[in-house]
Amino acid sequence: MSTEVRPISRTGLAWRVVVALLGIGLLVNGSLRMSDDVWPFGPMSQYAFSPPADDTIVITRVEGRLADDRRVELPLRVSTAGISRAEIEARIPTIVADPSLLRGVVEGWSSRHPAEPAVRQVWLVQDVTQLSRGRPTGASRQELATWTVPR
Amino acid sequence: MTGLRRVVGWFAPVLPDARVAVLRTVLYLFVLVDIHLFVADPIPLSRHPELYQPLLLERLFHLPPPNPVITTRLYAVLVVGSLVAAANRLPRLAGFVVAAAFTWWTAIGMSYGKVDHDHLAFVVALWLLPTVGVVRGRWRSREVSAQAGWVLKSVQIAVISTYFLSALTKIRSGDWSLTSWPNSFILTWAIVRRPHGLGQFLLPFPGLLRGMQWFAFLAELTSLVVLWLRGRALLLAALFWLGFHVFTAAILYIHFAPTLVCWLAFAPLERLPGWWDRRRASRAARATSAQVPAS
Repeated sequence: MSTEVRPISRTGLAWRVVVALLGIGLLVNGSLRMSDDVWPFGPMSQYAFSPPADDTIVITRVEGRLADDRRVELPLRVSTAGISRAEIEARIPTIVADPSLLRGVVEGWSSRHPAEPAVRQVWLVQDVTQLSRGRPTGASRQELATWTVPR
Repeated sequence: MTGLRRVVGWFAPVLPDARVAVLRTVLYLFVLVDIHLFVADPIPLSRHPELYQPLLLERLFHLPPPNPVITTRLYAVLVVGSLVAAANRLPRLAGFVVAAAFTWWTAIGMSYGKVDHDHLAFVVALWLLPTVGVVRGRWRSREVSAQAGWVLKSVQIAVISTYFLSALTKIRSGDWSLTSWPNSFILTWAIVRRPHGLGQFLLPFPGLLRGMQWFAFLAELTSLVVLWLRGRALLLAALFWLGFHVFTAAILYIHFAPTLVCWLAFAPLERLPGWWDRRRASRAARATSAQVPAS
């Protein structure tokens, strides 16, 4: 079994080293100075912040009232509502200002649950967990916005 | 001059082309897994133009706002392109088409408020793999090259950067302090927000969680060492990080699969085809010797 070395020119080597150095430079710059906006060269900011021992932790959810008066959760996952929790959370101030933006969740959920009755009203709610010296204590619930689906 | 040669040799070591050929097959097939399991939402998301917030990349290249026609076509391009490229056919054309389409697809998935950080090495790999060009003999190539070595080394650097840079980001976000992140209550926060994993059993023990944060932080900070390991030490390091991901998946439901698959750039994948051929040959030999009675 013989191995052969494929030839490579000086230019070929030079641009490769330059590209590698540039890439490393962009990545370090992104981590030290930039935001998520410069993806894929942005900072690795997932879970990179430092919550204090008495932090307030919120989980955002969407609940809906159906035509048969049942109140159900519209789980914020792509497979169930066409949109995920993180995407809704990133838009909370916008949704509070204009609750009709919840239309996307209603339509996403309804199209994936054709057997369920129509959604009449939706609420944007948060479960709030309070930390005390690093341990979760009580949990409560707050309503941020509501939107009545026009018939 | 020798110093320069050593730098060049480090960035572009001479490595088997066959490793690139096998890695291509694995990574392009992983594109298909990825667009169905991990970045699976661009088509449904593209029905919500009111929530679209383009990233710098999309603004820079004046990419049109996504709609279902665009995302469905991107999906089709990705499926066809990945299958062609996984077979090591048209490596440059199919490879660059997949790289561009996957980058756009993933950018769309991250343009609705949430940006993930597990795709760095994978995106780097997709853009660099085509530069190796045609690998003669594909998986069974006998050639070695700096072209292949540069791609493999760059993917390795991108994998390790994912860890090292996340330590840097933690230091930055903690106001340039080395202790603020590991001493924080980030794991408690993460577990409360994702209450379905094994992590909920750890919530009553904030001291233990803090110890785990220190461990993870120090591992990330020292991860650069992996780029200089070889042989058994490298294998142990790879197993350590694999274990790390299994652990975070178990307590938080967070996987880094697109980064994990890129760890294969460290592995001697070029040995797989030979090993497979020998196995088949010895099976065939045993089958024939069983039929012919020994004289």
